[in-house]
Amino acid sequence: MNGAGAPALELVGVGRTYRSGEPEGVPALRGIDWAIAPGEFVSVEGPSGCGKTTLLNLIGLLDAPTSGEVRWNGTSVGDRSDRERARLRLEGVGFIFQRFYLLPTLTAQENVELPMRALRVPRAERTRRASDLLQEVGLRGKERAFPHQLSGGEEQRVAVARALANRPGLLLADEPTGELDSTNAAAILALLERVRADRSATLVLVTHNPEVAARARRHVTMRDGRIAADRREA
Amino acid sequence: MMRFGFGSRLRHLRLQQILAIAAVGTAVALPVVLVSVGGGVSAHELGSLENAGYQIVVSAAGEHGITQAHNLTRSILRVGSVVAASPVLSVAVDVFPSGSGATPVLAEGVIPDEFTPTLGPAEDGLFPSPLPLGDPTDAVHFANGTYTGPSVQDVLVSSPLAQADGIQVGAELEIGPTAERGGAVAYNVTGTFGVPPTTLGPTGAFAIILPLSNLQVMSGFASGPNTTAPDAADTIEVAVAGSASTDPAALDQIQNAIQALVPYYSVSALDQEAAQLQSASGVLTGFYLALSSVGLTVGLLFLALVLVRRVESDRRSIGIQRALGLPGRWIARSIVGDGLLLASLGSLVGVVGGYAIVAGLATWGSGDVRLAARWAQFDPVTIGAIVLGVVLLSLLASGVATRSALRIEMTEALR
Repeated sequence: MNGAGAPALELVGVGRTYRSGEPEGVPALRGIDWAIAPGEFVSVEGPSGCGKTTLLNLIGLLDAPTSGEVRWNGTSVGDRSDRERARLRLEGVGFIFQRFYLLPTLTAQENVELPMRALRVPRAERTRRASDLLQEVGLRGKERAFPHQLSGGEEQRVAVARALANRPGLLLADEPTGELDSTNAAAILALLERVRADRSATLVLVTHNPEVAARARRHVTMRDGRIAADRREA
Repeated sequence: MMRFGFGSRLRHLRLQQILAIAAVGTAVALPVVLVSVGGGVSAHELGSLENAGYQIVVSAAGEHGITQAHNLTRSILRVGSVVAASPVLSVAVDVFPSGSGATPVLAEGVIPDEFTPTLGPAEDGLFPSPLPLGDPTDAVHFANGTYTGPSVQDVLVSSPLAQADGIQVGAELEIGPTAERGGAVAYNVTGTFGVPPTTLGPTGAFAIILPLSNLQVMSGFASGPNTTAPDAADTIEVAVAGSASTDPAALDQIQNAIQALVPYYSVSALDQEAAQLQSASGVLTGFYLALSSVGLTVGLLFLALVLVRRVESDRRSIGIQRALGLPGRWIARSIVGDGLLLASLGSLVGVVGGYAIVAGLATWGSGDVRLAARWAQFDPVTIGAIVLGVVLLSLLASGVATRSALRIEMTEALR
C-alpha cells in the first residue's frame, strides 16, 4: 500500500451526500481535492455543519464517499468492503473523539488493549504495550480504573493511549478538547503533539476552537462542504 | 463479557438478565419435571412387570372374562415348564365391619396354591404363606364344574383396611356384592396382608382376598349351589419354572402352547408388555418434550428480546468498537457468548429448579402426585439433551441480536 513519495492521505473529488427527504439528497461534502503529507499536523476548522466531521469520517474510513476517491499512501481505499475498511481502520488509524468513547465496561488497561486484542497481539505483548502507553500518557496506577472512575482529562488520555495501541500512521482527532477544561485541554494537546512527533504520525485535528487549531502547522478551513482555505505556516 | 456500566443502568440490565435466566430456567424446568416424573412412573411400572412372579398373562374382555377359569387353569398347568397358573377375579364389593356402614373394597378371588408362586420379589413377605383360606385348591366349593361343596367363608384383609375399620383377625366380617347389608354373607377374617405402594392411594389399598369360587358365587359370576354355570376370572397369571422364565425363546414357546389352548383369548408375555410399555413411554416422553417446546420457544423469544434490548442499550459501545475497526465477528462473538452464558445459566437454574420441584412434590405433595414424584428418575442423558438443545437454540436468539448489532450505523451511533 505504501507508494514511495505519495501523500499519506489524498482526497480526489470527494463528495458525500446523505439521503433524506430531499429528492437529490443533502450534500455534506462537495468535490473535495486535498492531500496531506506523511507526518503533517493539520487542523480542520469551520463552523458547525460545514462538513468537518464528515470529512474526518471519510478520511478515517468510517464512512464511504458517494463520489470521488479516498487514497491512503497512494492506494484507493474509500470503496473497499466494510470488512476491509474495518481492517484498515484497525491497523492504520487512531481515533480520538470529543466524548472519549471509552467502553464503560472495560478498565483503562482493557480499553487500551482492545484494538490489540482484535489484531491478535499476544497477551503478554499487549499487556506490556498498554501499560507503557498508559504510563506515557501519565496514567500509571490507573490501569484498573473504569471510565466512570476517571476525570474527563484522564478519560481522554486513555482514549489517546487506545488510539496509539496499534501504532497507526494516521491519528484523527475530532474536537478532542471539546469536553475538557482549559488545563486538561492544554495537556491533551501537548500530549497529541508529543506522540505525533515521537511516532512521526500524521495528525488531523478537527476543531472549531481557534486556540486549539493554532497548534497545527497547517490549517484547513471549511465552509458549506468545501475547503475554503488551506494555509501552511512557515 | 457480561460486565456492565454502573448505577441504575447496571441494575436495569441485571434485572433483564435475571428475567432472561428465569424465563429460560422455567422453560427448562418444565420438561425436566415432566420427563423425570413421567419416565420414573414408566420405569416403576416396567420394574413391576419385570419383578412380577409370573411371566405370561391370559386375559379376555367381556362380561364374564375368562370363563371356566378352574378348568383352564388345570389345562395350562399341564403345559411344560409351567409351575403355577393363578386365575384372578377382581371385583368391587362392600364390607360391613361391625358397628359401621359399608366400605367399598377391591376383592380378589384366587386359588391359594396357585396365587403364592406368582408373587414377585416386591410382594415378598406381604402375604401369609400358605394363604389361610381353607382348601388350598379351591376344590371344596367348586368341584367337577359345579358349586356343590361347602364354601370356605375365609377372607384375608389388607392391613390399611383392617387398621381403618378396626377389623381384627378371628372376627367375622360381612361381605356383600352391593352396599345393601341384606345381601352380605359373614366371613371369618383369617389374616391380613400388606400392600406395596400404589398410585391409587389409600382407597386402592383397601382390599380383601378370598377363595376364587366364593367370590364367583358372591359376585354373580357363577351361580350356586348346584349350578353348572361356568366360572370366570379376569386373568390367569402363569408362572414359568427356572431358566425358561428368563429365556425369551422358551417363553415364546410356552405362550404359543397356551394360546393354542385358548385361541380366542389374549395371551401375552410380560416381556412383550414391557416392550410395549417402553415404547409407550418413549412416545410419552416425546409428547412431553413437544409440550415443553412451547415453553422453550417462549423462553428463547424472551432471551432474544433481552439480547436485542441489550444491543439497543449498547448501541454506542458497539458503534465505538466498529469505529475502532473491530471485526463484525468480534461483536457477534460477544453477543453469542452472552446468549450462551444466559442460556447455560438458565438451563442450570431450570435443572436445579426442576429437581427442587420434584423433590418438593415428593415431600409435600399429596396422594398420587407425591407417589409419582417419589418415583421420578433424572436421566442425565435426557436432561443433558434438553440443556444442549436449549443452548443450541440460544444461538438462534443470539443470531437475531447479532444481526441487529451489525446493522448499527457507526456514524449514527457515535453522534
